Amino acid sequence: MTRQAWDVIVIGGGLAGLTSAALLGKRGLHVVLLEARQELGGLTSTAELAPGVSCDVVDHEVGWVPSELLSELGLERSRAELAHIAPSVTTLVPGAEPLTISPDMQRTREALARISSHDAAAWPAFAERVSRLSEFLKAMYVVPPPSLFASGAGNLMSMLGIGRKARSLGRAGIFDILRTLPMSIADVLDETFEHDAVKGLLASRAVTRIQQGPRSGATAFLFLHNHVGLPAGAVGTSVAPQGGVGRLVRALATVAKSHGVEIRTSARVVQIRVHQERVMGVVLESGEEIKAARVASSLDVRRTVYDLIEPEHIEPELSRAVGNVRMRSATAKVNFVIEGTLPVSDESRDATFVVAPTSSYLERGFDQAKHGAVSDEPFLEIRALGGDMVPPNERRGVSVLVQWAPYSLQSGTWESSARDALGDIVLRTIERVMPGFTTRVVQRQVLSPLDIEAQYGATGGSLTHGELALDQMLFMRPVPALSRYRFPNIEGLYLCGRGCHPGMPLPAAMLAVREITRRGKDSARDVAAARSAPNEATPVPA
Amino acid sequence: MTSNGTRARYDAIVIGGGHNGLVCAAYLARAGKKVLVCEKRHLVGGAAVTEEIHKGFKFSEFSYVVSLLRPEIIRELDLPRHGLHILPLESTVTPMPNGNYLAAWGDHDESQRELYRHSPLDAERYDEFGLLMHHMAHAVKPILAMLPPDPTSLSPRELLALARFGGHLRSLGEERFYALHKLMTMSSADYLDEWFETDVLKATKSASGIIGTFLGPRSPGSAYVLLHHYMGEIDGAFRAWGFQKGGTGGVSEAIAGAARAFGAEIQLDAPVTNVIVKNGRAVGVAVGAGDEHYADIVVSGLDPKRTFLGLLDERELPGDFLTSIRRFKARGSSGKVNLALSELPRFTCMQPENIARWGGVPIPAARYLRGAVSVSPTLAYVERAYDDAKHGSFSRQPYMDVVIPSMIDPSMAPPGQHVMSIFCQYAPFNITGGWDDAKREAFGDAVINALAVFAPNIKQAIIARQVLTPADIERITGLTEGNIFQGELALDQLFFLRPAAGWAKYRSPIDRLYQCGSGTHPGGGIMGASGRLAALTMLRDWPT
Repeated sequence: MTRQAWDVIVIGGGLAGLTSAALLGKRGLHVVLLEARQELGGLTSTAELAPGVSCDVVDHEVGWVPSELLSELGLERSRAELAHIAPSVTTLVPGAEPLTISPDMQRTREALARISSHDAAAWPAFAERVSRLSEFLKAMYVVPPPSLFASGAGNLMSMLGIGRKARSLGRAGIFDILRTLPMSIADVLDETFEHDAVKGLLASRAVTRIQQGPRSGATAFLFLHNHVGLPAGAVGTSVAPQGGVGRLVRALATVAKSHGVEIRTSARVVQIRVHQERVMGVVLESGEEIKAARVASSLDVRRTVYDLIEPEHIEPELSRAVGNVRMRSATAKVNFVIEGTLPVSDESRDATFVVAPTSSYLERGFDQAKHGAVSDEPFLEIRALGGDMVPPNERRGVSVLVQWAPYSLQSGTWESSARDALGDIVLRTIERVMPGFTTRVVQRQVLSPLDIEAQYGATGGSLTHGELALDQMLFMRPVPALSRYRFPNIEGLYLCGRGCHPGMPLPAAMLAVREITRRGKDSARDVAAARSAPNEATPVPA
Repeated sequence: MTSNGTRARYDAIVIGGGHNGLVCAAYLARAGKKVLVCEKRHLVGGAAVTEEIHKGFKFSEFSYVVSLLRPEIIRELDLPRHGLHILPLESTVTPMPNGNYLAAWGDHDESQRELYRHSPLDAERYDEFGLLMHHMAHAVKPILAMLPPDPTSLSPRELLALARFGGHLRSLGEERFYALHKLMTMSSADYLDEWFETDVLKATKSASGIIGTFLGPRSPGSAYVLLHHYMGEIDGAFRAWGFQKGGTGGVSEAIAGAARAFGAEIQLDAPVTNVIVKNGRAVGVAVGAGDEHYADIVVSGLDPKRTFLGLLDERELPGDFLTSIRRFKARGSSGKVNLALSELPRFTCMQPENIARWGGVPIPAARYLRGAVSVSPTLAYVERAYDDAKHGSFSRQPYMDVVIPSMIDPSMAPPGQHVMSIFCQYAPFNITGGWDDAKREAFGDAVINALAVFAPNIKQAIIARQVLTPADIERITGLTEGNIFQGELALDQLFFLRPAAGWAKYRSPIDRLYQCGSGTHPGGGIMGASGRLAALTMLRDWPT
């Protein structure tokens, strides 16, 4: 080992852990990042499914990538590749022409006009409204969640900043945001559009990765949430690095290392050591102890609190609140290796495809899951990895998010036959909208929420480390007592993952790092400053 | 101002003699105003009426229990003197699919002992839950009596109101504030999952979160409705429900009595066809066959859609306001079945030998039938009832709240016979293909069949039945889509958003036209708060 004592230990080598480590390293702190798996990436891993064929194994989107983060990490020049905006999202409706929405306003209007002149006319104002409202969310996502109860200048600044942003929306805008956030996306779309395919496509962007249907309250909020960081007009599309999510993972790891961060894989943390209400370090599965005065966990809150901390350090109220966080996912993953390209007429192989023909199709799929069954007509989000980067005649990976496949099944368990059945349903569903797909498949991989939990450590298989819902956002995320990223009663312990406000890995890590390095008594920033001073004041190595 | 020579001019005209219109009229009259109430039906009350649909049997046709009526209204209008007499509803029994049952009593300890039979853990949690909900209801109650502040205004008065509102939230303390936030945003099923493990308990409690809404127990937002129903109060006893002696119409009669005593005039069979507007100002109403009445102020107790889309020329209203009113959700979701019975229902689960089998405390029929029977055997049952409605049909197995008012007030039915009121969900207004006679009867049959599962003798006991679909409720009472709250109690339609952003203070874009129905804040149930707050606002604004 190069070093025995560290300023900060970061647990977890997914996007949030890597971002935190890189930012902390850049600020002069000595950081070690510990990843349980052999590979970095966590829920956003790109791996080889077959020799030479890689695929985004779990999630194929990365959420909002704030540009100030890329600048800070010196990655601004790679923005186009690392935070690539999907050029379009195409909904495939059996027996009908595919409908494509893209950031190109004119093209989208033309596409809509082919099925509904009403919807084509409604589009520009809707796109503008979505953009305006999600800009407001964005303003809330660059500051720690404001609290009615917290004191201090930081909180006041948060509140003022958000208040100013709200004012800039004007009277109608404020009412619009207050009214829209708790609504169901189905109601919002019914007010605006008439064509089922349009509503299905847009509704799918509100219910992706959550266990709710389009008629559930506050899905309008999630629609806006998913739009944060996208340019105006890019309604419905998403952010993902070109060539797979692994590319962003690698870029972050490279930056982190360049700032002196030590990255250790196959280093599973089994305990966070706490003594007299202070963090002492962590214990690895191997028995090795690593000491540090600060530990930042990018794991989900339940894993962190229940699995890594001795119960005597957690107050019963906190323990109960953590136990109540809804983390049971109903999103499964099916990955394919196919021969050649996707059998779609659309020349843009880089598009995201959705199977969400109508809003009630989604609702019925959700209904089944609500009662503990796998949707037999599931909502799918399909991306062919590599797009144009893989030559047309070569094999490529296809990543498919499947909803809804509940973590707990009403009858039976997620044994291999249930996984096979899910794989068959997905194949059948794709074949209906992409005839000829089945014959191109050479290999498939099915991950149930249980598998995602077991292999990637996400409790309940939750891709968001806790359901995104109004009662689990802002100052409620992950639980009120931990919403400012720090454990109030354990000095030096922090959360820095997507389970925290604002529910996306990169912005959450940025805000957590700001908290970890906040100036104040014994803050990490002061430690770094002191180290560079002549009188060495670093914690003494063991 | 114009005046019709042959008729008396009024200070105020109230459109609609529902309970809120009557409360508003009473407060205005009490302040010395000359008030006219125009009611389209032959009796006052709107959805709070008692009618003898079958000879000798008095039905509380629509609204059937009372508890949310604001105590300050009872006091200020001296309603007991005018006949308000609430008899407490003492229990709720929920039959379970396996033959067992869950009972809840007015007496907290008794409920807890019963719950212990199902789950000692839940029985312990019950105390804490009850206490928290009590605090939550107390936290929300001041908001119910508060004029909604305008969050967008920078005027000192509004900023002060907003600050006061913020101060109120802060005063709850952190823990309770977060609990309130959860109640405002969660589904009742998720909220209850945090507390209890007994499914039948969660099912029964979650049912109060769906009443009058187009939500299922698993839909976010339903927890608020749960809380809304926790706010009842009778004689200072929180969370108590009761019957009005002689049926719900008696509540309306009492308020009408108070209004008349203060000098208000109430015209029956006087349907208002439109509000007369001159130069952007409301000056009167046109009634039925061509009569016109004039007044300084007009206030409508009808729901927002009926008021603004039905009684006014749309050209009188600003476009964005019209859009808001059109978008205001008032999806009817509940129906009502009223029965005249030759004998009492015999619930299988409450037979002494069955109670003994499940280790319960013997309960005589004369006792539990004085309370409610909730047909909400499992959470999945209630959720499936919603699934049916969501996709355009009535619930094949509906959730039901069953009461037998004649058990408490024998005058409701001939000696030895009974009336039964069954509130059922879901019956969507927008049923696929629309409602017709055949569908109404099929819905009635579904209700009776679902009840017969637990009380097999019900079918032969029926002398007469009245089935009310949301379409019937709309036709008879005028409530748009038959929505019992004049608009859903959803987070996007509450407080300063009810019924429209910027128009939550009982005023309207038409000068001197006010609103006082439950489509305004705080809305819903026989509460009367909207009528009172509207009257107080009008009195403050009164043109001089």
